[in-house]
Amino acid sequence: MFSLQTIRTSLPRRGLAVASPIRAYASQTPGNPMLEIFNRQTKHLQKDRAARNVEESRKVDYLKDEVALRLCERLFDIKRDFSNALDLGANSCNIARALTTPNIDPAAPEGTLTPPLAERISKLTCVDTSRALLHRDDDLPFNNEIDIQRDVIPNLEALPYAPNSFDAVLSSLSIHWINDLPSLLEQVNMMLKPDCPFIAAMFGGDTLFELRGSMQLADMERRGGVSPHVSPLADVRDVGSLLTRAGFKMLTVDVEDIVVEFPDTFALMQDLQAMGESNAIMHREAGPLSRDVLLATDAIYRSLHMEEGARGIPATFRLIYMIGWKEGKGQAQPLQRGSGDMNLKDLLGGGDFERP
Amino acid sequence: MPTKTRPVEKFAKATAQCSVEAAAYGKCVVTDYNSIHKDMCAKEFLRLKDCFLAASKKG
Repeated sequence: MFSLQTIRTSLPRRGLAVASPIRAYASQTPGNPMLEIFNRQTKHLQKDRAARNVEESRKVDYLKDEVALRLCERLFDIKRDFSNALDLGANSCNIARALTTPNIDPAAPEGTLTPPLAERISKLTCVDTSRALLHRDDDLPFNNEIDIQRDVIPNLEALPYAPNSFDAVLSSLSIHWINDLPSLLEQVNMMLKPDCPFIAAMFGGDTLFELRGSMQLADMERRGGVSPHVSPLADVRDVGSLLTRAGFKMLTVDVEDIVVEFPDTFALMQDLQAMGESNAIMHREAGPLSRDVLLATDAIYRSLHMEEGARGIPATFRLIYMIGWKEGKGQAQPLQRGSGDMNLKDLLGGGDFERP
Repeated sequence: MPTKTRPVEKFAKATAQCSVEAAAYGKCVVTDYNSIHKDMCAKEFLRLKDCFLAASKKG
């Protein structure tokens, strides 16, 4: 016979492993281990290796640069200056590059020149785990146009910043690799000053659904079972509740699909690898994919998704953009539910869905 | 100086020469993908693989 006490103490205490000056989130209760989906070490190595091939790595920045631009466009809606901003999971500082690009305001009339957003941001701290990736573009001219500080930290899930220290936290295409998203968002909320925004973009649910499906079919037909080759991603529906749970107010969540055409699945996979975005799931199969499965995947992908007359295969990237505000005094509040006196349907001119 | 070709590029090049076989295999899988099982399209796959192997020897 044994007492309950002995069981409790014999379990590993995960909460103590985090070496951070701030106590982030509540420590995990023993016996309630955190779910680990992604292998952090693997992801770190993938990013580091990818960035060391500078030329290749820059070539595949098209997606991250585009998303960073679209994310930064959202800053035009906030008429404010930010003295201290954080780029969480900065990759190669794509956000800094977007901020220093002039004339990106989509609302400005054509032909007018608008200054780069960097003028409104006095200091940008870029934080990531991969030194090679973060410092890849140290010598490029955009570094001179914004006060930029690069911090390499061992773990993106334990942020070393003091509470109430940032006027804005931005994040582009990074937090889809976070294991414990609720804890990270809570840390972000704590680091923000009151009434300051968190603006982020991440890959969501249907990203690469074509590749995921084709690989599953190829695995089934060739080997009789499936193995996870494409990492799982958060769903749009979850993001709202995640932000609420972390204490954010006045949420905006929207979705956008970017479809990129590739000559074949090999080019797609090569690009993903060069981006450092290959699969990093915990229980993935060791070693490379079998050639048979690769061959089968390419054939199935083409049959399922290639359009008549198209030159290449489409790959869908679904972006989830989110904006949440830390609670603050005198902050604008949403109106009571049901207090609106105008029908949105009349305002936007939309029709009903056709009923079957 | 010849540049180094990565294995995956050779792989892609060889596959591109077997579009007919690939289409046949793809069609076989896709027509009945709700009840897919191992070696459902083994015959079509072998044809695709033979073509692929021949093509990669040539290139």
